Formats: sequence, C-alpha cells, structure tokens
Amino acid sequence: MKRGILNIVEHDLRNFFRYKWWLAGLIAMNLADLFIMAVVYNFMLKSSLTAQIKSYFDFFAPGLAVTGLFASAFMIGREVNVEKRREIHHYMLSLPMSRIELAVGRVISGGVRGLIYMTPLLLTCFIFLGFPSLLQLLLILAMLFLLAMGISGLSISIAVSTGSFEKFVTARGLVYYTLFFCSSVFYPMSVIQSLGQSGQFPSILVTFAEVNPLSNGSDMIRNFLLGYPDFSQYWIFSALFFAGIFTLTAIVTYVKILAK
Amino acid sequence: MLLVIERDVRLFFQYKFIIIMRAIWFVAQIVLFGLIASNMMNVTVVSDYFRYYVAGLSVMTLYSAAIFIGFDIYEEAEHGVFEYLLSLPVSRRQLVLGRSIGGGLRSFIYVGPLIAISLYVIGSLNPLQFIISLFALFLFSFGVSGFSITLAVMIKSSDRFDILMGVLDALIVRLSTAMYPLAIVMKANPAYGGLATFNPVTFVADLFRWGTGLESIITIANPLLSLLGVVIFFGVFTFFGVVIYERRIEGGGWR
Repeated sequence: MKRGILNIVEHDLRNFFRYKWWLAGLIAMNLADLFIMAVVYNFMLKSSLTAQIKSYFDFFAPGLAVTGLFASAFMIGREVNVEKRREIHHYMLSLPMSRIELAVGRVISGGVRGLIYMTPLLLTCFIFLGFPSLLQLLLILAMLFLLAMGISGLSISIAVSTGSFEKFVTARGLVYYTLFFCSSVFYPMSVIQSLGQSGQFPSILVTFAEVNPLSNGSDMIRNFLLGYPDFSQYWIFSALFFAGIFTLTAIVTYVKILAK
Repeated sequence: MLLVIERDVRLFFQYKFIIIMRAIWFVAQIVLFGLIASNMMNVTVVSDYFRYYVAGLSVMTLYSAAIFIGFDIYEEAEHGVFEYLLSLPVSRRQLVLGRSIGGGLRSFIYVGPLIAISLYVIGSLNPLQFIISLFALFLFSFGVSGFSITLAVMIKSSDRFDILMGVLDALIVRLSTAMYPLAIVMKANPAYGGLATFNPVTFVADLFRWGTGLESIITIANPLLSLLGVVIFFGVFTFFGVVIYERRIEGGGWR
C-alpha cells in the first residue's frame, strides 16, 4: 500500500518541479504583495488598529504564507481535471496499484506540494517576525500540512465533479475568493466581527470567516510570532476536521470517477 | 482591418467562463475586500477608501483584460492559425493594427458594465470630466494591448510570457495609485513613490477618480499631465507593438 502511494507522490512532485519558473514567478508575485502593498498599507491604518496589530506588514506576512500554501495545494486539482478530460486516468488505472492508493497518493502529494511552495514564504515570515520555538514550529508545520491536505482534497473534489476546464476554473475562482476574502488573511478577525455587529456585513459570512481554515492557520502563526490573537485549541480541531472531511470526499469522488 | 477587429472581439467573448470568473473577482473585491479593508483605514489619510478602491479596481480589471490579447497570439501560433491569418486578403499592417485596436476595444467592452457598477457604487459623476477620463481609459486599454503584443512576440515561450505578465501585473498594479494615494506611497518608500509617479496605471486611475467628480479622493494636481502620460503610453506601445509584430510575422518569426 505504502509503495504505491509513494510512487504517486513522487510522480506528482516531479511534475510540480517542472513548473519551477512558474513557481518562482508566483513567489515573486506574493512577495510583491508583502513588500509593496503591505508596506504602504502600514501608513493608512486607523490608529486603534495599529495599536492592536502593530504593523500591517507583520500582520499580513503569516496570512501570505497561508495564501501561498492554498494556491499551490490547489494546483493538484488542475492536473486531475486535465487528466480526467484527456482520459489519462485510464493509463493511471493500468498501473500496478489499487484505486485507493492512487487517490490517497494524489491528496497527499497535493498537500506536500503546498508545504514545499510555502516554505520560502514562511521563512520570509520568520526572518522578519522572528523564529518560533521548536514545539511551535512543529505545531505550525503540522497545522499547515493538515490545511494543505484539506485544500488538496477540496481541489480534487471540485476537479472530478466539473466536466470542463472552464467550469473548474469558475468553481475554483468562487472557492478562492470566498476563502481568501472571507478570512483573517488580509484583515483582523475583530474588524470582520465589528462589521457583522454593526450590520454592515452578513452574520453568515462572519461565521464563515471564523470557521475558515485559512483564518485559523494564519491566526495560529500570528499567535506564535506576534502574540495575538489568543491561542485557541479550536484551530487544531478545525484543521483536523477540514483535512478529514475533504481528504475523504476527494478519495471517494476520485475513486468513483476512476471506476466509470 | 474592421474584420480583424471584429474577429478579436468575438474571440474574447468565447472565453465565457474566464469572463464570468473575472466578473466574480470584481464583485468579490468590492463586496468583501473593499468593504472590510475600508473599515481598517484612517479617514484622515483617505477620507473614503471604499470609493477610492472601487475606482482603482475598474482600472486594474481593464488592465488585466487588455493583457489577454498576448495569450491569444500564443494560442494562434501553437495551433497554426497564424499561417491562416497571414493568408487572408489583408495587409500585414492592417492585420497588426487591427489586432491592437481589437485587443483594446474588447477589453473596453468587457469592462464597460463593470465601470457602470463602480459608478453606481461611487455614486457621483462629473459628465465632462468623465468623458475625458473615459477617453483616457480607452487609450490606456489600446496601450496595454500593444504592450502585451510587444512582449508576446518578443518572448517565444508562452510559459515565460505567462510568468512575466503575472509578475509585471503584480508590480505595475501595486506600484501605482490603483490601491492607495500617491502621497502615502511616497511616504512609505520614496523609491516606490518615484516609480508610481510615472506609472500609466497611476495616470489612468487618478483620471478615472477625477472623472467621478469626487474631490475628496482625487490625488492628482493636474489632470492634463496625467492625460498626456496616457497619450504617450498609448503612442509608444501601439507603435512598438505594431512595428515589432509586423517584423516578427515575416518568415515565421513567431515560431
């Protein structure tokens, strides 16, 4: 069982590194957000917010690492969608491994790819905000791996459920924007909550932002590196739940599509 | 030439899902990012960041739509459509100019409804100034199309083009006043401010805000200078795009 999964992970990782220039470009784009947008935003914040988060650059750096993790873990869905449309999965089925191994391998490789891509962004974050303790680092990596697995599973589930590439791209866009903008990646949760309390923002979206795994991942890194917001064990349970649900959904839907 | 323009406009509207996705992005940016981020901003720095951002967003969308013509050029080269285009009874110059105009026009048509949405959100308009700013947006979209064509024919790999356009998009948009006023960019980093001062996205974003007539969010001293900047950008890249494209298409130089 392990051998087959490892072979699939290796295959997907090799594919991932074929896009090295593309990855370098993506990292450059992410860093432009941090070193230009976040630096300028520092000078525009309300004083009450500055007192709370100190600097937007510091606040945004952990969010950016999670954003990068999300984008790269989601890439596996694009490949699965292309394979499905070009019927390459028939070749995959001819390989000497079970369908479960194939499906589990795809989800894990999506997660590993997310972690690899995120590493330079997380390192940048550590260099500017300070390094966590060993235990904190392990917790951050475990949390982010769970997130990456969940994102990879979510992406595969969407990829196998959408017939055409265009539909996949549209669905991906919807998921991207909802998860990115309805989270504490770009703004503190307190800002979203106060908007919800004043009736300017729908309460359902406030709740979504609170349970959003991207919010939980960003806030955990912020807690370890910046000391805010207060640590919550709920973040870990939320990541476990997210990873469990979407890994399972991806495996079931992927195996189902392979059986067709 | 009109047929070439018509073809490019039709081609763009075949990408239905990409158009829908960009429209979703636009709306999500307004109702999620714009709304929440505006509540983080100091009103003494930007009196109404929400409106400021919505106006900048229209320019960002126009820029990314106009860039798309470069990707079409790669698609055509890969699928052998280029040879077919060259066999048509139109001169090389008509073909090239038509593509540049078509690229600008289609992005303008696409962004039209989104500009209408942003005007509704901004809630004000100075008719005369708006017509001038619309003219600037028009020239800007042609200029960006020319810029995209210039790069597409100079870079032979579609992957490299894709990466370069992504990185340039990130830098050009962030080093402009699309998202923040010039004075703040200057204060944050004078080098960023210097680059933003001469950025065509800055010229057109500020002109668009000027066109809406909202005095509180205007960050330019003289709109005529911005208009001049847009005209120069349009002239340079339309000219370069046409000349380089024309030279490359001879003897299979696009391959």
